[in-house]
Amino acid sequence: MKKFFSSKPFILTIGTLAIASLLPFGVSDYILGVLTTAFYFAVFSMSWDLLFGYAGEVNFGPTFLIGLGAYGAGMADSLLNLPVPVCILIGALAAVIGGVALAIPALRLTGPYLGLITLVAVLLLQQVIVIFAGVTGGEIGLSMPDVLSVNSAPNYEYALAFMTVSGAILFAISRSNFGLILQAAGQDPIAARALGFNITKHKIAAFAISALFSGLSGALLVFYLGTASVNAVVDIAIGVRVIIAAVLGGRRTIIGGAIGAIFLIVAGEILRPLGQLSTLVVAIMALIVIMVSPDGLLGMLRARRTT
Amino acid sequence: MLVLQILIDGFAISTLYALGALGFTLIFGVSGVLNLAHGGLLVVSAMIAYYVGTRLGLGAYIGAGAGILAGIVTAMATYLLIVRPIQRSRVIPARERELFVLTGTLLWGVMLQEMLSYIFTDTPITVKPLLPGIVDFLGVTTPANEFITAAISWVVLGCLWLLVNRTKMGKQLLAASINPRGLTLLGFELSRIYLLVWIIYGVLAGIAGILLGSFLGTSSEFIPALTGSAFSIVVLGGLGSVSGTLFAAYVIGYIETLTAYLVSPSLRNVPALVLLILVLYIRPQGLLGRR
Amino acid sequence: MNNGAPCLEVTGLTKRFGGLVAVKGIDMNLHRGEILGLIGPNGSGKSTVMKLIMGIERPNEGSIRLNDLELAGKPTHQIARAGIGIVFQHSRPLHRQTVLENILLGLLPDRLTSLIPDQTAIDQARSIGERCGLGDVLNRLPASLPFADLRRMEMAKAIARDPQVVLVDEPFAGLTSSEVKTFAALIETFRDEGRAVLLVDHNVKSVAAMVDRVLAMYLGEKIAEGSAADVIADPTVRRVYLGGGLEVFYGKAQALENIDLIVHEREFVSIVGLNGAGKTTLFNAISGLIPARGSITWQGDVRGKQTPAAIARAGIVQCPETRELFGDMSVRENLDLGGQHQSKADSAERLEWLLNLFPILKSRAGQAARTLSGGEQQMLAIARALMMRPKLLILDEPTLGLAPVILGQLSDALTILRDTTDITVLLGEQNVTFALPHADRVYVLEHGRIIWQGPPDRFADEAGAAYL
Repeated sequence: MKKFFSSKPFILTIGTLAIASLLPFGVSDYILGVLTTAFYFAVFSMSWDLLFGYAGEVNFGPTFLIGLGAYGAGMADSLLNLPVPVCILIGALAAVIGGVALAIPALRLTGPYLGLITLVAVLLLQQVIVIFAGVTGGEIGLSMPDVLSVNSAPNYEYALAFMTVSGAILFAISRSNFGLILQAAGQDPIAARALGFNITKHKIAAFAISALFSGLSGALLVFYLGTASVNAVVDIAIGVRVIIAAVLGGRRTIIGGAIGAIFLIVAGEILRPLGQLSTLVVAIMALIVIMVSPDGLLGMLRARRTT
Repeated sequence: MLVLQILIDGFAISTLYALGALGFTLIFGVSGVLNLAHGGLLVVSAMIAYYVGTRLGLGAYIGAGAGILAGIVTAMATYLLIVRPIQRSRVIPARERELFVLTGTLLWGVMLQEMLSYIFTDTPITVKPLLPGIVDFLGVTTPANEFITAAISWVVLGCLWLLVNRTKMGKQLLAASINPRGLTLLGFELSRIYLLVWIIYGVLAGIAGILLGSFLGTSSEFIPALTGSAFSIVVLGGLGSVSGTLFAAYVIGYIETLTAYLVSPSLRNVPALVLLILVLYIRPQGLLGRR
Repeated sequence: MNNGAPCLEVTGLTKRFGGLVAVKGIDMNLHRGEILGLIGPNGSGKSTVMKLIMGIERPNEGSIRLNDLELAGKPTHQIARAGIGIVFQHSRPLHRQTVLENILLGLLPDRLTSLIPDQTAIDQARSIGERCGLGDVLNRLPASLPFADLRRMEMAKAIARDPQVVLVDEPFAGLTSSEVKTFAALIETFRDEGRAVLLVDHNVKSVAAMVDRVLAMYLGEKIAEGSAADVIADPTVRRVYLGGGLEVFYGKAQALENIDLIVHEREFVSIVGLNGAGKTTLFNAISGLIPARGSITWQGDVRGKQTPAAIARAGIVQCPETRELFGDMSVRENLDLGGQHQSKADSAERLEWLLNLFPILKSRAGQAARTLSGGEQQMLAIARALMMRPKLLILDEPTLGLAPVILGQLSDALTILRDTTDITVLLGEQNVTFALPHADRVYVLEHGRIIWQGPPDRFADEAGAAYL
């Protein structure tokens, strides 16, 4: 443990976070806004990585959990006028319930079948939102009476703090006994059972934890944006970005999810002068990275360090 | 009248779905690849057909030819630039190749979408139908294109059936889908067979894309949804099962049409999605899947 | 040794898969401090028995009692906690964790709330690792370990929770002769610690030296039980024990060492060896299906880099033990594919000749290959290979799991083939009585090395004793 706190990557991470927390004193509101969104995305990707990288569950629909959190919080605010923290908790709870509901098929299905169930879950959520447009705002979206803050600096600090805490917790979970058992279950479920582990229990817990952080992050994101809309938190394209970010950053690392998400969003912004081509260029870069270094950006860094 | 209308519309849309999903299931069956850029192939073909046929004014037929060619080129690019490098990669561990193919084709789909919207447009367009006009069929007025679409789709399905069941090449494809190792032992180069099946896939996707584009219109924005539909139909029918795909396409096509006419057009996707979830819970191998 | 009540008591254990009865009313006792060998050819149900005990499959009938605690039907993890450990033949270790962490995994509690492993568990994992001979590699990643050490790690994981009963699947597959000795010693320490050990293997021979008792199974039933010598001498076992399976250990195991093998034109060469001796690996290397060092000379030229398909077209055709038929295609379609490289007339002529050689295939021509019986499938596989007009036909374990009457038919077909054609045959067999009569020359393969070669008539005197 001591070794970990004095290790180079740890000090580097703390240093980066410290510099990041000082950014509001030096950079424009626009950049802060971009980073704020990126931080929430980072939590999406890290949560996805816990499910995929550790429990071995291919979840093609991370936005199902994110959307439940976002809309749960959004509707609690706009319909019930509850205080913001309560709304966020309601969103998180909705996501956890959704996560456990997804865990049930996940115990029976594998590979592409589970992938499709999760994909269909997103499509259904999307339909439900459109059908019950009266309470959800439908295709236009739900505008929220409350926001976290109207200023970009506090919003930025909230997001940074949330990402740091979530990342630390998820990372600790991944390195804990629980994380070890999850990995064993993901690698070889029969062997893990034969070592005396109740895989069902562990997998459901993994889904619940992943859903909790996805939901919290989704809820916070809509309170930052001021609206909850299908395009921002439910659309499959958003889920694709979450997955690509996690793979790009480096699967099975948790932290890689954050690096990938921030890289994707920041790269998209830097390339904005290219106009429509920016997404294309980002996609090409992501493809090249995963083909050359399957362990992603973090894998590249690690390889450089060891050679 | 409504019954007949539902029957005709349902038939046309189902047939189109079948054709649209067929390439996806073929490529999975023979080479084990789930191509998540499938929608991209369809839309590229439709866009090229539209551009050549309408914008350049060369007519529907030349447009369609160009569209099919574009389908083949895109399929080859998918295989040679994305799928094969991943499958042959030394740095990607063998048991993770499937995931990387999924991620790679997903990214490729995004790239196709962006390229299309950059080069052409992201607003929906409609491919010039091969046969314009309206037909009065037993008192129901239906666009002639609807009949043409269904007819062409069935001809293509028939040709594919003949190819697989009546030619030497088809036998090789079938054998590759059952047992690739067995085929190697009999002296057939799998690499050649895979190349071949991707070309066939390109032709199928090209035709399906053009018909979809003339029937429902198309846009680069439709790519993810089209991939999703094809994936759903194929899983509902049983991954890799051609007859299952046809069956599932008709089930989904008619359920959607019924819902659109009898309940509400805005709900047309919902029952099919619920059915899909139910099937996956009860019969994960799909309606006609084996195992 | 059999003092007191058995610690594991299995009675009337039955398992059906659809219409197939894989295990039929097996009774079995296992005492503390005893090693029991459970042997049987492929498909005999021995592996299913192991899975039933571990709860990986649920039994249809029967009871499994561990010290009077009923385990039948319980989930695997509870059975493991009750005191049964298993060493799988193939399992996937945690590849990003060290050997020590992999062993530690076996010591963790099954609780969601346990976050950090306590120091006693780490110490315990270290001492278990050291006992299993992993002391020097505890901090390495599994991927960097040789095959034998990976097996040791699996052993260490299995005994981590101090089980009363240890099940070991194919304890020696893929190991070299010297490794076999140290593994046997390791397993014997399990016995000396008072554990009950169940070794599951294909052959009596591989486990004979260390077992206290042997239980032989065939087609789901117990056919003999007693000391290793008794079981080897048992007439039923001798009769049944013609077939046998072959698990090839890809990946880490070095399957072959310096094989020198010559097959002359028109010669019939048999390679005899037990399970895991390396026959299939050797054939796959010849067919270009797996990479190998060394050189292969074919018709006077050293073979360069060729695809397996090109090698097959050049005349080296393999009929693998797994048969690799196209199950959903008809018998006729399977055969036609083998003839596609020839002109239509040649192919038709060849087909007719083959249907005369294997008349049963003629009556089955339209049937899907997977609906054939095992013997018919084997004939189809051989016929399909022969459709290619091979110069060298490699037959890998053609007798695998076949009934004696089918063996006779196959044997007759091979005789005809020898007498009427120019074909050269390389036959890999575990079943000596099938392999010898046809052979011009015999090689004996053991643990990846050729240990004897000579004419078949000298085999019984010089190499036969080491065999069975």
